[in-house]
Amino acid sequence: MSKPRVGYAGMTHLGLCSAIAAASKGFATLGFDADAALVARLEAGKLPVVEPDLDDLLRVNRARMAFSADPARLQDCDLVYVAPDVPTNNSGDSDLAGLDHLLELVLVNTRADAVVVLLSQVPPGYTRAHQRVGRLLYYQVETLVFGCAVERATKPERHIIGSPEPAQPLPTALDCFLSAFGCPILPMRFESAELTKISINCCLVASITVANTLAELCERIGADWAEIAPALRLDRRIGAYSYLAPGLGLAGGNLERDLATVLRISEEYGTDTSLIRAFVGNSAHRRNWPLRILHELVLSREPQARIGVLGLAYKQNTHSVKNSPSLALIHCLTPWTLQVFDPVVPVSATPHPNAKGAASALDAAKGVDALAIMTPWPQFRELACDDLARVMRGRLVLDPYRMLDAGKAKAAGLDYRTVGVA
Amino acid sequence: MLALMHQNTRPTKPKRAVVVGAGGMVGGSIVQELAKSGIPTLALTRKEVDLLGSSGSDQLKSALSVDDAIVFVSAVAPAKNAAQLMANLRMAEAALAAFAAASPAHLLYISSDAIYADDANPVTERSPVAPSTTHGMMHAARELMFRSEYRGPFAALRPTLIYGARDPHSGYGPNRFRRQAAKGEPITIFGEGEEKRDHVAVEDVARLAVRILLHRSTGALNAATGVATSFHDIAHIVAHQFEPPAQVISVPRPGPRPHLLHRFFDITECFRAFPDFHFEPLEQGLARVHGEVFG
Repeated sequence: MSKPRVGYAGMTHLGLCSAIAAASKGFATLGFDADAALVARLEAGKLPVVEPDLDDLLRVNRARMAFSADPARLQDCDLVYVAPDVPTNNSGDSDLAGLDHLLELVLVNTRADAVVVLLSQVPPGYTRAHQRVGRLLYYQVETLVFGCAVERATKPERHIIGSPEPAQPLPTALDCFLSAFGCPILPMRFESAELTKISINCCLVASITVANTLAELCERIGADWAEIAPALRLDRRIGAYSYLAPGLGLAGGNLERDLATVLRISEEYGTDTSLIRAFVGNSAHRRNWPLRILHELVLSREPQARIGVLGLAYKQNTHSVKNSPSLALIHCLTPWTLQVFDPVVPVSATPHPNAKGAASALDAAKGVDALAIMTPWPQFRELACDDLARVMRGRLVLDPYRMLDAGKAKAAGLDYRTVGVA
Repeated sequence: MLALMHQNTRPTKPKRAVVVGAGGMVGGSIVQELAKSGIPTLALTRKEVDLLGSSGSDQLKSALSVDDAIVFVSAVAPAKNAAQLMANLRMAEAALAAFAAASPAHLLYISSDAIYADDANPVTERSPVAPSTTHGMMHAARELMFRSEYRGPFAALRPTLIYGARDPHSGYGPNRFRRQAAKGEPITIFGEGEEKRDHVAVEDVARLAVRILLHRSTGALNAATGVATSFHDIAHIVAHQFEPPAQVISVPRPGPRPHLLHRFFDITECFRAFPDFHFEPLEQGLARVHGEVFG
């Protein structure tokens, strides 16, 4: 067949990045979303998400990329991905109502021979439960990583496909599309594919938790995790890309969602959950690292303390504040005055009654008793320690993500604290 | 049990506080702290209300009104055996009968960190309740009784090891060390005194209790400083408060050395519940107590 026409339903972070990546592989691509205002902004080239290289990738492939709020346009598509956000509550439980609704809309508005693929994160059992007689419904594991979505979407390591008959060849349109990415394709039964996504995230959480657990120990016994992690990365059993950077627990919502899903299913089937509970507990514990140090060194001594907070997003290169450690910290600082700067997220996203937005990172540091660098935005690396020391009233700098050079910070007279080292 | 939540976002004085068990060190401190905060207080000791007596429940009921915020701190402590355990549960049962009749507005129970498992480090309010002593089981059972049967907003404050000038007990720790030194005796520590524990000043427990009443909070909060200090270090802090400094000597442990030596707390919930609350550092608190005892 000629190249399939590919549709994406749901112009979410995932849907939009995936759609533009599809266009970049030479496929005529339709981005559908019921939100006409959003579609109009997309038509005008205004992207609602922040991702490195995404704007450029759209501009270069604009001729193959269409946007529409009319579901009837999906009739033209041979392959339609369903990619809405599946929101989670604070416990990480998914609300699937939006996905149910959009899937129904897609099934109604696509041809019977079109391949429909669920791309959103779904709990095991979802895809099989939504099979329709006479329709082709598949599931694909999405590997979006906020902040490097373009690279993940254009150069995936593999395609993991949940299929009703894994031994049978994939439908031609799906196979043709997936083959364009030049990576291995792994068809498997639905439940395996759904659990693969969760398994990947559990492995990542395990690495993160190892790093966070041992980083805390480093802080007490005089070791430095930054010296240890490179040695681990050179071990082939651990790997160069393993998630070994210590931080402030888990954030962003997706990892937490999968832990909640495993807990829920394990409880239903009576399997052991102790490891997952340990992940959750350690995440909550490490998240509060900055709060504990602030109390110990500043808040208990300075009733009128003024605190600078750099970064609100849950990580760099994203506007998402889901489970952001920064907001968690700010939530516990209500009696004090805050000066806040994030390159993308406005100060209005904070729950704090007395937080002032600053014009720049250095501006947020002016006159503060302590500065907490709570999101590893690359531009925070540019801050000169001497400038910080000059404008700050106090000396304490909390830098969990090691954005500043510890030696320079100490030379500038700052009381520099980071995770993983005494 | 859930972490502490405030029904009053802004501190609001209850019409009256009633301290049941005001005769003890903790109850007495809470009464003093309530007075400092200007909250009208009814202090009940065993003299006014004997919850183990046949009319204890009626005595308590007639003392209460619907607007009262209750602090229940009365206990036969420590509950070392089955009889003391059961006596404490009967006291709670009698109190519950009075609460059912009088429907007070808020109940704060002064519990204990003994309700947690010995190996729960670092202890948080979410650590599983798994007591290893009858004393811990007593507090766990009383918490459960109050939480399930009292119909109003309920909070439990769970102090760790408490010290204070009025401590009647001479358990292993700063109070015993001070008394030994005052008598001119050497301070004795078991083994090398390696065990690290968190010690909280009774005044800090009382201040937390008052804040919980002001916020009409529900849920559980530990009263611990977040800093664990070895008995060795505490002995030397106390020793150096005397002139000349007291001697600290090591004596063999009374039993086999316990496998678990330490108890640490993660006190983030306290930062979250009361962001501007700060515990008195141990060394400072011990110096203050020394001054209060010896003038």
